[in-house]
Amino acid sequence: MATRHVVIGGGTAGMNAIRTIREEEAARSEITLVSAEKPYSRMVLPYYLDRSIAESHVFTATPRVLADWGVKAHLGRRVTALDAKANACTLDDGTTLEYDDCLIATGSSAVRAPVPGADGRGVHSFWTLDEARAVLAEIAPGSHVVMVGAGFIAFTILNSILALGAKLTIVEMEPRILPRMIDDAGATLVEGWLAKHGVAIRTGARLATIEDAKGRKRLRFAAGGDIVCDVVIMATGIKTNLEWLKGSGVTINRGVIVDDHLRSSVPNVYAAGDIAEGRDLITGEPAVHAIEPTAQEHGRVAGANMAGKDVRYRGSLIINIVEVCHLDVASFGAWDEAKAEAASGVKPDRPAYRKLLWRGDRLTGAIILGPSSDIWTTNDVGMLKGLVQSGVSLARFKAYLKRNPFDIKPAFIASKTTSALLPETILGRPSKAPGNTPVAV
Amino acid sequence: MLATATNVLRIHPEKCTGCLRCELACSYMQTGTFHPAKSVIRVSPFEGHTSYAPYTCTQCAEGWCMTACPVGAITINAAGAKDVLDDTCVGCKLCTIACPYGTMFYDPDTRKAFKCNLCGGAPACAEACPTAAITYEGTATEDWLGEFARVRSARVLAGVR
Ligand SMILES: Cc1cc2nc3c(=O)[nH]c(=O)nc-3n(C[C@H](O)[C@H](O)[C@H](O)COP(=O)(O)OP(=O)(O)OC[C@H]3O[C@@H](n4cnc5c(N)ncnc54)[C@H](O)[C@@H]3O)c2cc1C
Ligand code: SF4
Repeated sequence: MATRHVVIGGGTAGMNAIRTIREEEAARSEITLVSAEKPYSRMVLPYYLDRSIAESHVFTATPRVLADWGVKAHLGRRVTALDAKANACTLDDGTTLEYDDCLIATGSSAVRAPVPGADGRGVHSFWTLDEARAVLAEIAPGSHVVMVGAGFIAFTILNSILALGAKLTIVEMEPRILPRMIDDAGATLVEGWLAKHGVAIRTGARLATIEDAKGRKRLRFAAGGDIVCDVVIMATGIKTNLEWLKGSGVTINRGVIVDDHLRSSVPNVYAAGDIAEGRDLITGEPAVHAIEPTAQEHGRVAGANMAGKDVRYRGSLIINIVEVCHLDVASFGAWDEAKAEAASGVKPDRPAYRKLLWRGDRLTGAIILGPSSDIWTTNDVGMLKGLVQSGVSLARFKAYLKRNPFDIKPAFIASKTTSALLPETILGRPSKAPGNTPVAV
Repeated sequence: MLATATNVLRIHPEKCTGCLRCELACSYMQTGTFHPAKSVIRVSPFEGHTSYAPYTCTQCAEGWCMTACPVGAITINAAGAKDVLDDTCVGCKLCTIACPYGTMFYDPDTRKAFKCNLCGGAPACAEACPTAAITYEGTATEDWLGEFARVRSARVLAGVR
């Protein structure tokens, strides 16, 4: 009998797993997908919001493609319970699915600040396609949009809101923006840059209530004046979609604990993406990395192992990049480790900023800021990732880099980082191009 | 096993004179204009401009850019090169941070990523190089510049202490 795989969640991790199962399996298996939403990529939503792409562009597999891949899909359905002992899960329509192995890839969802009025009309999260549609329907040229929260997700849609001709105010509870992506010095530069581009920022602002005000919205704060606007977007954090796993028998901490094969505490139950708590490449500790590249790598490794391969995962690296008004902002690895040896350089007028963090001779984290029209910014973004990912010894260059943090390339090349990186692959073989997934015969 | 019948760009750094013809040829081929800033092969100076070497995408086996792209906009072309499909790219820059070699580029005018695609099998840089410092041949890709650059960093580093 063909192996029965059940994939729960058709986002980035789930779809990467399905494609990899089809690429790796020796004999054709049965794949069943259960997903509350159709397969699409959340991180493409900002480009749907600014109307640079059609809605159809966000989907990662149409029903037709799923059929070609031989995937039996339950779309718009939720798994409500997993019984790991019985090797079965239950859907919200009462269906029970039995499996030989299954993948938990249910991702995360947006959380709103717990204030009165947070669920009212004109107040939105921006995490799902439905939410993106709702926001797009309400923003018109000249609208005043208030973004509550100044984290990474807020910044991924900042350009789009401005491109729609709206006026934008960002309010943040913490004393500064991007608290979990860059350091104070970087944040100061970004705040100055945004102010120059007409974005109003209010930090240290504790939202108290959101009220209706003659068809508009009024935000009241613990201190300081009210803000009246047309649309409120709550980018106040995310939570992992774990509730349905209570009583499943799968060990959960901040996420589903997984080993270096993406297996949970139950050997035939895998987990991948935002929901998984796996090894952090730099610290070696378990961590939830709610980013696209982790979901992709997790999904591919889990898929290969579900297909019968023996693929060990080296751990995931935190990498984030966002462009705001033509300024690139990126950070890598342990960029916020307080104990690390750090060196930085700033060119306030460009603005450009580099921060390098070290453990011995190894680069373990970095922050980079620079104009996106400057190709050196883009090239350095990649090379910093390569240095942190490969962990090459930079012994000869350390003193030089500490003085010249803008001169990454000679150190990258002369430290033979390319030699260290060339043999590295996630699946132990060259990657296949998308669109080459074997179809059902 | 994947057949590696494809050619690669082999760099012979000791032959490079720093004339930048590869950058011009590349930008012309990729964008139709002689605009080195749009070249995806970049000539770097070593030892305070006493030697030079061109650096570009190795077409690595993992294809970090390709596997990172959320919309499948990077594929493998007939020459075996990872190639960006302009119509599919949304310009999210995930490939620029995923590529650990720093060989992804982003064009702020078109809002698309771009990279070396081996000109589909007839690389303009190799054609343009007057000293054959760039050749297009059937060999495995290597770290062509590492040792060359290591030897040529002593003077720069000596200035540190
Ligand atoms: C606007 C926006 C911009 C972003 N930009 C970036 C970026 O630039 N870089 C970056 O690295 N990351 C970015 N991200 C984050 C990235 O999208 C996520 O990390 C990634 O989608 C995680 O993939 P996943 O497969 O774990 O979860 P998801 O993609 O969230 O997929 C989970 C799937 O499971 C389904 N599901 C949930 N519960 C159930 C259930 N009980 N039963 C069945 N199905 C269920 C969901 O409907 C969904 O289809 C962004 C996210 C957003 C919203
Ligand atoms: S910038 Fe374009 S090619 Fe690169 S990852 Fe994003 S969509 Fe894909």
